[in-house]
Amino acid sequence: MNLPSWTLLAQSVLSGVFTGALYGLLGLGIGLSWGLLRTINLAHFAFAFLSAYLCYQMVLSLHLDPMLTLLFIVPMLFLLGAGLHWLTDRFRLTPLSSLLLTFGFMGMAESAMQWFWTADPRQLASSYGDQKVRLGPLFLPIPELMTLVFAIAVTLAAYVVLRHTDLGKALRASAEDSPVAASFGINQRRNSLLLAGTCAALAGLAGVCIALTASISPSQMYAWVGVVFATVMLGGLGSALGPLVAGVVIGVSEAVTMAVTSPSWAPLVSFTLLIVILLARPGRIG
Amino acid sequence: MLEVDRIAVAYGEAGALWDITLRVRRGELLSIVGPNGAGKTTLVNTIAGFLKPKAGRILMDGHDIGVLPPHRHCEAGIALVPEGRRLFTTMSVAENLDVGSYLPAAKAKRRESLGEVLELFPALKDRLDVPAGELSGGQQQMVAIGRALMARPRLLLLDEPSLGLSPLVTADMFRAIRRISTAGITIVLVEQNVGIALRVSHRACVLELGRIVAEGAPGDLGSRPEIRKAYLGI
Amino acid sequence: MKLRRAPVAVLGGGLLFCALPVLRLPAFYESFLYLALYWIVLATSWNILSGYAGYFSFGHGAFFGAGVYASATLAGKLKWPFLWTLPVAALVAAAIGVGVGAVAFRVRGVRGELFALLTLAVTFVLATIVANTPIDGGPGVYLNDVPVPALGPTATSSLYLMMLAAAVATLLISWVVRFSRFGAGLFAIHDDEDAAEVMGVPTYRWKLGALAISCALAGLAGGIHALFVSYITTAETFNLTVPLTVVLMSILGGTRHWAGPAVGAVAITVLLFAFTGSSNAVLGKGAVGLILVIGILFMPEGVMRKFQRRGRAVVPDPPPVEATRTESAAVKLAPVTPGVSVSEEPVLRVRALSKSFRGLRALSQVTLEVRKGEILGLLGPNGSGKSTFINTVSGHYLPDGGEVWLDGRNIAGLPAHRIARAGIARTYQIPRPFMQMSVLDNVALAAMYAGQGLRSIEAGRDEAMRWLRFTHLDGKAGVLPTGLNLHQRKFLELARALASRPKLVLLDEVLSGLTPTETHEAVALIRRIRDQGTSIVFVEHVMDAVMALTDRIVVFDQGAMLAEGAPAEVMKRPAVVTAYLGVSYA
Repeated sequence: MNLPSWTLLAQSVLSGVFTGALYGLLGLGIGLSWGLLRTINLAHFAFAFLSAYLCYQMVLSLHLDPMLTLLFIVPMLFLLGAGLHWLTDRFRLTPLSSLLLTFGFMGMAESAMQWFWTADPRQLASSYGDQKVRLGPLFLPIPELMTLVFAIAVTLAAYVVLRHTDLGKALRASAEDSPVAASFGINQRRNSLLLAGTCAALAGLAGVCIALTASISPSQMYAWVGVVFATVMLGGLGSALGPLVAGVVIGVSEAVTMAVTSPSWAPLVSFTLLIVILLARPGRIG
Repeated sequence: MLEVDRIAVAYGEAGALWDITLRVRRGELLSIVGPNGAGKTTLVNTIAGFLKPKAGRILMDGHDIGVLPPHRHCEAGIALVPEGRRLFTTMSVAENLDVGSYLPAAKAKRRESLGEVLELFPALKDRLDVPAGELSGGQQQMVAIGRALMARPRLLLLDEPSLGLSPLVTADMFRAIRRISTAGITIVLVEQNVGIALRVSHRACVLELGRIVAEGAPGDLGSRPEIRKAYLGI
Repeated sequence: MKLRRAPVAVLGGGLLFCALPVLRLPAFYESFLYLALYWIVLATSWNILSGYAGYFSFGHGAFFGAGVYASATLAGKLKWPFLWTLPVAALVAAAIGVGVGAVAFRVRGVRGELFALLTLAVTFVLATIVANTPIDGGPGVYLNDVPVPALGPTATSSLYLMMLAAAVATLLISWVVRFSRFGAGLFAIHDDEDAAEVMGVPTYRWKLGALAISCALAGLAGGIHALFVSYITTAETFNLTVPLTVVLMSILGGTRHWAGPAVGAVAITVLLFAFTGSSNAVLGKGAVGLILVIGILFMPEGVMRKFQRRGRAVVPDPPPVEATRTESAAVKLAPVTPGVSVSEEPVLRVRALSKSFRGLRALSQVTLEVRKGEILGLLGPNGSGKSTFINTVSGHYLPDGGEVWLDGRNIAGLPAHRIARAGIARTYQIPRPFMQMSVLDNVALAAMYAGQGLRSIEAGRDEAMRWLRFTHLDGKAGVLPTGLNLHQRKFLELARALASRPKLVLLDEVLSGLTPTETHEAVALIRRIRDQGTSIVFVEHVMDAVMALTDRIVVFDQGAMLAEGAPAEVMKRPAVVTAYLGVSYA
């Protein structure tokens, strides 16, 4: 263990915040889905990576600014997510079955991505890919900064909707006691389609952020599963602010671990946290 | 206003209600009493739309509501205070009340309704932001009734409001129920506690093992042997 | 017997395949066969915990990987003779598994999807530890210079023979567990763990046992596989392929059949191999994913179940129970005959029993006695604590205070399965049979685990038949609980409660929902139960039955005892009348 300089440590923490923001962004969709719809949606990762590849392709072929691709990707994914939910809703799956089912979708998506784009890593080349902002001795890369801004924005939006709008209250009520919620006129089927679509749209946004900040390959999808689940469980299912906060905590812990020991120890942080949470407070989940 | 016409309800093959016919007039408070297992909650749940009758019809102001999905019953003017309260425990009192007034017609009058509910249950004024799960039994019952009133119903279904409450709190609760009835809302009250139910009702009927065994004005019913037999077996 | 054919077939098949290396097939085919056997071991071993007991694990990769690295370290770095590393690999994997299980199984909420995620996390933690310590350290482990034991003409065929032996062993173990008393307990845990515990199955130990066996076999496969690939890395060993493929194979083949996962394993291996050669290799994973999706949606029970269904004779549905509805509500029940002696000696003594839930006092200092051979009625308004009493005495809930003396032993606070072994049985108000076990096996399970606890399935089934005859359900022995109506399910509950020959039976509203005729039959049955020496505590609301059956009654109100004595007399007492009807009636 060699203690790094303060600057390096601070840069690590900052990097952890950025990574954590992405964990939180991905985790928000999974957490809302799990907490409010009682489905564990691994297809979320497939949606994110599909969006990442779509963004990459659109920039490559159409020379669009990556931000503009959001205009296509977000609505398209909303429809995809709602459609998938509509299909599977008729089968009345348990959370375990939905875990297995959506895992199957991940496999199918991986194949599709590999078919079209091969297994080689792809890097999105954008106009601001290399730009940075300087804050004293620290560097803030623009793509990562944008990810952070997006993450904060959607988190706040989700918070406002869940806490202060009738739709949000209806979703929370249905999740807790569906028949009684229905007796007050809440149409759960319609609301859940809306929510499923929104979660998929969030995945789309996350995917574009991934494309901007990292190189993508199909098999990389799986690398995110563990750490995002740790984020969701630490942050709390169905919570709006939880995943972002938890994501940043995990991201920073990983980054500091990497700086102080070595990068390969990083996964230990999130997975150990996951195990500890599962054993300590299973009642808080599901 | 409400007409239940020869309905039969079953859970799978287990029959729970047979040949039930009821009429509730506008503004009336009808009590349904009977021992445990008689089918009272089943009857209320059927009127509320959670169960579909295997035979017979349920008419609300002439419209057949038995065919409607559960989330359309509120539009028809029915609000339910479920057995055991079944509040949304992770949500605050205010949020529970908001859910009650989810439908557009009720939402438009939300502020007015809230005022009325708080006047009826002043104890809730200081507890609007408390998570419903942290309230006492009596306070939870108040929120449950308030939540239903927020829907501005024409028919209020009350399922065992005295369950788990001490006699003192029960008396308070029924005072409030009487006020609601006086304000003109039609009420169907299901209760195991015969004495207190009969004291507030205009009419009552006794349910035993899925059938109505007696019916009439509270004064008459009180002394009928059917009640003692149904509850005490003697 | 038809069952015995299976192990003979497995052994015979194994011997036959032993001879294969003589044929000197091209390496492609030997690899294929090796891989098929490899997946048979992994899928079948996974199924022993996850399929039989229902605890879906996503961590099979961890235990497999533990075996891989155990063998690799011992053979590659410490130069052990390879065959000796295999038992150690199995042991290491089992030890890790039991370590995880010992903690995870203690936590009541960790089931279903949470257990799956926990085991997945364990895989990655293990991978990280292995990658960062001298076990691997990063560059991977080379096993090129480890001599392959010369079991066959070539190296590949030797490994093939080792995996063949492992596969035969695994299949036999799977078969033995499936048809043993242990396996019956696992299936009960799968269907309803809490009910199994109350019925006497030591769920914690049983789950650990299944996990240990499952991990040991995975570790064994891992050890052999280490030499097969001869260069191992953490990325290849601990990735998600193993855990998810075994899930797919088992679901496809059928998790309740001992050979189901093996069938799935062979099918998927064939499919994957069909894609390997062609340029559409990429589509292989997609096809597997698609099959998983279709499997979950349309065939959640797997292929083998479909074969089983066809073999069993079709049982006609019982006639609908509407005919007797026109009878009058009250049927006269003869009062209890005075001649049956109730001894003064108590079989159950409850002292100051208390139980609270989040501040609500459900039971408050309850003190009562049940005498040998008596039928004690437990009455009271809704919410008075009757069901809580039954749940606490039978061990479903842990009491907050008080003692429960059964024949001189204080059983308060013991785990539910010990209380069942001590001789208390209960029925559930809404029947909770094990839905995927036949009527006969439902009752046999109780006979095997509660009370004395018979040691073999045959003995359990014999005893079960006796009680099915007693409750007139013998004609339905082979049927699943879904083929029974409510009346029959209640009788099944009774048969299950009696099969262990308990000292005391707790009946929770056994008559609710029955027609008058059915009630009549049930009352007669309860009398017969008492007549052969069992004491009964009887929670009921059907007052006719209470009056006719009980020797004494106890009335609860708001969690405390209100009154006790002879039925007709107690129900006239003012305090009791008030509790039920309110003040004005006293």
